[in-house]
Amino acid sequence: MENCTSLAKPKGFMKGFKDGMPIALGYIPITIACAIMAIKAGLSIGVSELLGSALYTSTGQKAAIDLLKGGETSIIMYMITLFVINCRYVLFSISIAQRFEKDMKPWQKILFGILNTDEIFGFAMKEKGALSPSYLIGLGTSPYIGFFIGTTIGSLVTDLLPVSVSSALGIILFAMFIAIIVPAAKESKSIRFVVFIALVLSVVMECIPAIKAYLDASWIIIICAIVSSLVGAWLFPIKEEGEDIVL
Amino acid sequence: MMSEQNFIYAILAMCGVMIAVKVIPILFCKGKIKNNFIKSFLEYVPFAVLTSMIIPEIFHSTSSVISATIGFIAAIILAYVGQSLVVVALSTTLIVFIAEQIMQWFR
Repeated sequence: MENCTSLAKPKGFMKGFKDGMPIALGYIPITIACAIMAIKAGLSIGVSELLGSALYTSTGQKAAIDLLKGGETSIIMYMITLFVINCRYVLFSISIAQRFEKDMKPWQKILFGILNTDEIFGFAMKEKGALSPSYLIGLGTSPYIGFFIGTTIGSLVTDLLPVSVSSALGIILFAMFIAIIVPAAKESKSIRFVVFIALVLSVVMECIPAIKAYLDASWIIIICAIVSSLVGAWLFPIKEEGEDIVL
Repeated sequence: MMSEQNFIYAILAMCGVMIAVKVIPILFCKGKIKNNFIKSFLEYVPFAVLTSMIIPEIFHSTSSVISATIGFIAAIILAYVGQSLVVVALSTTLIVFIAEQIMQWFR
């Protein structure tokens, strides 16, 4: 925070914290929905809170709850699912690391790495020039607080919600996923292609009873995702050098 | 079904995976990914994961397939015309809520 007073680093923790506020507000409805799912799956308020704050990913949380509801007991399966869903962070981390100031300390990198999310990555990459450690940590802090607040609200209100509201809330995460996919698919032919293959595979696997009988829903997701991404990478490799990774 | 105790272990293990995936590359990768195939694969995975998570499950996400389908179409349209993530998420939820209220009148 002492960086706020330094002229060389005009963007300090507080600026980052403020810039992260819109992301934080966006997380609140999503995390409320996630927590409602967790409580409805039979988790206690404390465990729902732990799930939200330890994973800090709504997609991963949903996948974990689906595994739990599906009766999955192998911890390895939970780990594999989370890994596949989140392996994109390898890419994010590498591109954003190019923008760090040279003197960023290891603990600052670790802290920012943990606080990083799709939205924070997207926001930070739009900023120009090197990114100061205190700015990045500030940018990561407010969304985490928003995530925590939403998880807490959701965990506490589940039992109070009318059925009509919780039924409608059931779609909110899917709507968010659509809001991530559609703009990217609109922009890029290769992403459209990958999405199409994943969609076809998913429908086909859903329709074949033999597959449904032997494979968990999460395996189907993993297989669809890996196969369609491999086909996409094989047919449409990204040509340009550099760090142009657009979400 | 897993006991809550074991699910807590699963959460801690998943937390470890998350930290590893987010922190290790940031600490140790100095250069860029040179291999276009790996780079493309990593870029495509999130969209493929989300697609297969949506289809077919979205249609069972509300109390009726009809309201879910309305929500599905509404979300695609809203996202296509460039609404932000939060607007798409909240408006879709509201549209599903309204659709379900209207459907009740016809029951």
